[in-house]
Amino acid sequence: MTMTMDRRRFIEVTAAGVVVAVTSWGCAETPDDVRELAQPALLEMFGAERTRAIGTAYRAAVPTEQTVGDLHAAIMGSQRRWHWGKSLDAQVHDDFEVGRTVLVSGWVLSQTEARQCALYSLSA
Amino acid sequence: MALQWTNSPLKVVLLEGGGFDLEPEMQDLYRGDIVGQPYYPLQSARLHYFGGTTNHWAGYCSTYDPIDFETRDWVPHSGWPIRREELDPYYARAQGILDLGPYEYDAADWVKRDKDLEPFALDKNKVWPKMWQFSPPTRLGTKYRDAIVNARGVHLYTHANVCEIEANESASSVDSLRVRTLQGKEYHVKARCYVLACCTIQNARLLLASNRRATAGLGNSHDLVGRYFMEHLEMPSGELVLAKPESTKTKMYIMDYGVTKARAELSLSAQAQKEHRILNGTASIEPGVIGEPIKSTFQFLPPQLIAATMAWEKGGKVGPPPLVAPSPSAESAAVKTPSALPRNFHLITRQEQAPNPNSRVTLGSEKDAMGMPRVVFNWQLTELDKHSMRTYYKVLGQEMGRSGVGRVQLRDWLLSDDRTWPSFLSGGWHHMGTTRMHTDPKQGVVDANCRVHGIGNLYVAGAAVYPTAGSANPTLTLVALSLRLSDHLRTVLA
Repeated sequence: MTMTMDRRRFIEVTAAGVVVAVTSWGCAETPDDVRELAQPALLEMFGAERTRAIGTAYRAAVPTEQTVGDLHAAIMGSQRRWHWGKSLDAQVHDDFEVGRTVLVSGWVLSQTEARQCALYSLSA
Repeated sequence: MALQWTNSPLKVVLLEGGGFDLEPEMQDLYRGDIVGQPYYPLQSARLHYFGGTTNHWAGYCSTYDPIDFETRDWVPHSGWPIRREELDPYYARAQGILDLGPYEYDAADWVKRDKDLEPFALDKNKVWPKMWQFSPPTRLGTKYRDAIVNARGVHLYTHANVCEIEANESASSVDSLRVRTLQGKEYHVKARCYVLACCTIQNARLLLASNRRATAGLGNSHDLVGRYFMEHLEMPSGELVLAKPESTKTKMYIMDYGVTKARAELSLSAQAQKEHRILNGTASIEPGVIGEPIKSTFQFLPPQLIAATMAWEKGGKVGPPPLVAPSPSAESAAVKTPSALPRNFHLITRQEQAPNPNSRVTLGSEKDAMGMPRVVFNWQLTELDKHSMRTYYKVLGQEMGRSGVGRVQLRDWLLSDDRTWPSFLSGGWHHMGTTRMHTDPKQGVVDANCRVHGIGNLYVAGAAVYPTAGSANPTLTLVALSLRLSDHLRTVLA
């Protein structure tokens, strides 16, 4: 799923009590790029627990991005240039540059890194 | 302002409501009803003795930005009749009076002085480092007492409370002031011109209560006196996590009270304010743990603590000060990087409040010991106030992310884009705007020279004349404006 320009809004997240059906990491195909995508740079800043919580909150707020496949497709779909060799860091920078940001648990995040957190939450 | 007249051939009578020290019965004259947003007790928010509230101010100073003086179509009732450039020479003079450093508020000037002062690598068209300087803080009543008492041209009367401005029959000129003491002694003071400098709330109160010649109060033909009361919103609003604490210098932004001479706050650019149609605001940073409870300004300094701190200061600062910065918690220590550099910071908002005619001071039915009606204080905010704060943090978050400096989190209470405020809503004890300045008498109480419209010899000094609040604390600007008024009066009285 691609977050279109008109959906470039900030997502309010109240994760408490939301039950989400999640495709388990082990059942999904996990190509190398998916494993890489699931290691957001935010891990160093936030640590594992907060990164996981952000990812979980993101999935709770975006019903169409629940599984590894959904998230992988979403990142790849909106980040084609990354697929052609552009670094994830640069893509995150671009997200901020053009305002492709989301608000998750109050954090102002790039769309890409928020999805990465969601992937991480599925892997951890 | 009186200091400007110490050697003047003109005679200046300085009527001080209090004495030279804190007196509970004098403070009680400032008590009033609070009916709007919760507020600090009025009798504790201002000091009623020689030197006024500088007897307990914290000394934070910065200039107003050029945009603060502009008419902004997205900020109703904005615009000053003067421009920032007109205040520059007075700002420079005010620096010395408040024992500040050089008149330099450009971050580059301070970077030259200390290579460790390095602003974050942010786009200045979005967020720029607004510099502040810190007064010791100068207690004007202590520092300048002798100069005033010994001045040839200034005659100081203490415990002299002005209870009425007595106007002529047409209310176009002031004839005299009716002055009372707590003991009931009453007298009248006559002068060629009069300057009200009683503080924002009390100036309005005195004008409204002086209603013998004009039933709505003096200067109030257009129902403006007491309206547009403004504060600065000072609240913990967000968090900042640095991406690379080891290589990101933070000294420029960190305040070590009593030591730091100047520091920067993260200020929204004029361009960004225009683009997002929001108010002016800044954020300061202080190390802390993400999400930990943090007190707002009002919560951090309850009246009892302020009183204890003043007593400690007056007693020669013996022993530890009552106001001690909290020691970092164990958790704080745990989140530090191996190099012991903090990664996490609280973001504290300092934002102007939009001018709001419904935010106001009126007179109540209860009277004080002088027989003057007490004030009813109705502090009110608008949708633009919260929307601006929320938007500011989104812009800051985007810019912190884009630049790679770090990530920003908005606190929970700021997430909803509505008009609600948390219980710890707080100002900075900055009272502004009840006798706002405007060239049009229908839109302002005083003109560009701080003269009350329609009254030939009555002026107002202080932050009461501010049409908008700016994002900076008001003291430096009000001293500058007072110096400007003083110069104007020299011309008028020549």
